[in-house]
Parts: sequence; structure tokens; C-alpha cells
Amino acid sequence: MTSSKIEELKRQRQLEQRKRGNQKPYAILLAAFIVVIYLAFTHYNLRFSSYWLIGILIGITMQRSRFCFCASFRDPIMVGSTSLLKAIILALFISTIGFFIIQYKAILANPNFAIHDIPGHLHPVGIHTALGAVLFGIGMVVAGGCASGVLVRIGEGYMMQMVVLVGFLIGTFLGARHFVFWDRLLVSKSTTVYFPNYIGLFPSLFLQLVLLAALYFIADWYDKRNNIMTTV
Amino acid sequence: MSEYRLDCLFEACPIPLLKALKQLEKMKIGEVLILHTDHNCSITNVVEWTKKQGHYIDYIEISEGEWEIYIEKAK
Amino acid sequence: MSLYEKVIKKPWPYWVGGILLALLNISLLITTGSAWSITTGLLYWAAAIAERLGIRPGEWYYFNFYEYGLKEGQTFLYNSYTVLNIAIILGALLAVLCAKEFKWKKVKNFKQFCFALGGGIIMGYGTRLSFGCNIGAYFSAIPSFSLQGWVFALFMFVGAWIGSKILFKFIL
Repeated sequence: MTSSKIEELKRQRQLEQRKRGNQKPYAILLAAFIVVIYLAFTHYNLRFSSYWLIGILIGITMQRSRFCFCASFRDPIMVGSTSLLKAIILALFISTIGFFIIQYKAILANPNFAIHDIPGHLHPVGIHTALGAVLFGIGMVVAGGCASGVLVRIGEGYMMQMVVLVGFLIGTFLGARHFVFWDRLLVSKSTTVYFPNYIGLFPSLFLQLVLLAALYFIADWYDKRNNIMTTV
Repeated sequence: MSEYRLDCLFEACPIPLLKALKQLEKMKIGEVLILHTDHNCSITNVVEWTKKQGHYIDYIEISEGEWEIYIEKAK
Repeated sequence: MSLYEKVIKKPWPYWVGGILLALLNISLLITTGSAWSITTGLLYWAAAIAERLGIRPGEWYYFNFYEYGLKEGQTFLYNSYTVLNIAIILGALLAVLCAKEFKWKKVKNFKQFCFALGGGIIMGYGTRLSFGCNIGAYFSAIPSFSLQGWVFALFMFVGAWIGSKILFKFIL
């Protein structure tokens, strides 16, 4: 929505516009480089070619849609806006269905599965998870980005996120170094809670989808409620 | 009627949005805020928030990766 | 608006990004057997740097007792996570160049630098405790039906709330 005042300002500004440099040659060069590396991978290491291709697509998608996991947690708190959170819940909804199908096929093929055989990201959960998540939450708001956001913004040219990356290197390094301590204190006493182990695969799918749908509607309601208020 | 300029170059999320919020609070109806930013998250989240609040907003790209966002306070 | 403007120049809506990321994560799991995860790759880079400096992280408890040891044919520098992370950076770079929006953005001041570094260190440390970052322990863990994902999400909110308070007090 614009107003006449804004249209006037825009018109004035466009008259003064500087001549812009051309970035297309770099784009073409980079695209060629990407394709070359991809072809090299298909030749030498087929699995890596999938990582490469999907990574490129993830980078493009996140950059173009301005996706920011950090903002999805921060915006509801700071400005009452949940549009990103809804998009993530939608993504989780679809991924749940997809992962379910993959896990189902894996379990059918190998009924006596052990937890670490199941495709996906499954790890012990306990107080350490909560602690790590709180640290992560504080860090991501303060640094202005989370792990995925850091990578995407480095690609966009932010020098500040390179500093955050260095912080990540130091932090993960120290965390791994101190892991013996945390393991003895908390981790070794915890287990991996894989829902289907307790209630079966299909009920887990159903309950999780219902929960995600409910969260989506709550987020939507919260967002609409905040439209009535004017400022923070 | 006056214009306010906010320089948010090199600022990370969510600083441009928060600065805009604070400035808008202090403005009178009809005044225009010009936000100069190079953060592309901002053109999405500032635009979205401002539209929800009912103000007028538009933006143009003045250089590679730099935008000026014009907000007119409407209520 | 021309086709270029509509597809490449205009930002995509969030829900498009969400759906695409979900499909990409599923594709990753199907084709490689491992879900999307970022910070383990960063840890490997840190370990690679440490190795150059004479420290031997490969012998640490962390890498030997949980499945974080390297798979065969990989080193701390050349492994699947490195490929994925670098691809993400280059993909974002490509998108920005195609939309002619690339710009070097310097660090504004020392305060910003400190918060960036400090935030990064806290985040990195937190990921080792919770076995993953916002992607590994949240975006990939919830669809894997692991309780870890939900616990992480809940407490990330708590952390974000605390962080917002800090942001308002010191940075704004």
C-alpha cells in the first residue's frame, strides 16, 4: 500500500540513482564452477554429489525466501508476528510425512532395528538438551542468526556472520572438549526417546501431525490477535 | 510534515525493524520515515509488520543490496 | 513485471521456502541416508584446524564413544558435512548474485563484533550439549519422531526470550 507522498519520494529517488555495477558475470562464473564440481562428484564420489546439489538448492531457497529460523522464534516475542513460525510448522508437517515413509520402509526391511539404524536424527534427550537449547536460543538472538542463517548470510556478504562462524568453531570445539564432564553428569543417564518405540509408528505419525496442525492454528491466532495492537 | 531518516546500514536482524518501530511510535500521522538498510530480511519483515499495522509502505532498491523503505504513518 | 523480476528478483513467500526446505530435507534423507545437520560439520572444521596446530582431537572421548567418529574415506576437512555447508554458502551467493543484490557488509563496530563472537561461542557450546543445532536437533529431529526435537524447540523459545531481554537492554 502506498500513498501519494511515498510515490513522490520514490520518483525523486529514482532520478538520482547511481549507475549500478553488473553482477551477472560473477553469477555465471559461479554457476559454472558449481556445475563443474557437481560433475566431478558424480564421477568420484556419488554420495557427495547429492550433498552438493541439495546444499546448493537449500542455499538458494533460504536466501530467496528470506528464511530465518532465528527470526521465527524471536519475532513472536518481539513483535508478535508468527508468519515465519507458521512456515516452519508447515515444513515440519511435510517433513514428518516424508520421514515417516522413509522410516517405515527401513523398518519393514529390518524389523529388528536398533535405534541408530533408523534414518533421521535421533539422539539422547534429557536436561542437557534443555540446557543446550537455552544456550543456543540466547546465542542466536544476540548474534543475529542461527546455524543455517550464518551460512546463508556469509554467502550474502556479511562479514559479521563470519565472526559468528568463528565463534561456532570455538564453541563446538570447547563443547566437544568438555563433553566428558557433561556425559558423566547428564548424558549417560539419558536415553533416546523415539516415539514409535512407545506407541508405534502410525499413532506417532497421527499424533505429531495433529499436534503440528494445532500449533499452526495457535500461531495464526496469535498473529491475528497482535494486529489489533499498534506498537510494542 | 517532516521526514525522518534512519540509517541502518550494516545492522543485523532485527535491529532495522526495532529501530523503525521506536521511531514510528514517536511520529505523528502523515509523517514519513525513510529507512536506509542493506539487510534483505528487513524488506520482508518490516514491510509485513507495517502493512499489518495499517501504515503506508513501499521501497526501492537504490544500489546492489541497498534499499530505502518509505513508511508513512497512517494511524 | 518480467519473468526475471517475478521469479528471481522478488522475494519468495515464506511458505514457499518452508515447503521447499521440507522437500529438500526429505530428498537428502532418501539419497544419502542422513538428515540435514550443520554444526557437526563446523566441529569437524574446528578439529581440522586444531590438527594443524598439533592438538589431536580424534583421540578425544567425544569422537570415539558416540557416532561422531569419522566415516571411512573422510577426514576432518573433507567429509559430507563440509560439502553440504559449502554448498549452502555458494547456493546463497548464487541467488544473491542472480538478483544483483550482493554487497559486502562490514562489521559496524566493536560492540557488534563482541556480540557476534560471544553469541557464536554460546551457540556452538549449546549444540554439543543438545546433539545438534536448530537444524539438526529441531528441523531434522522433530520429523524423525525424536523427543529431542520438541524439548529443543521449547527451550529454544526460553533462550530466545532471555536473549531478547539482553538485546533490548544492551544493543538497541
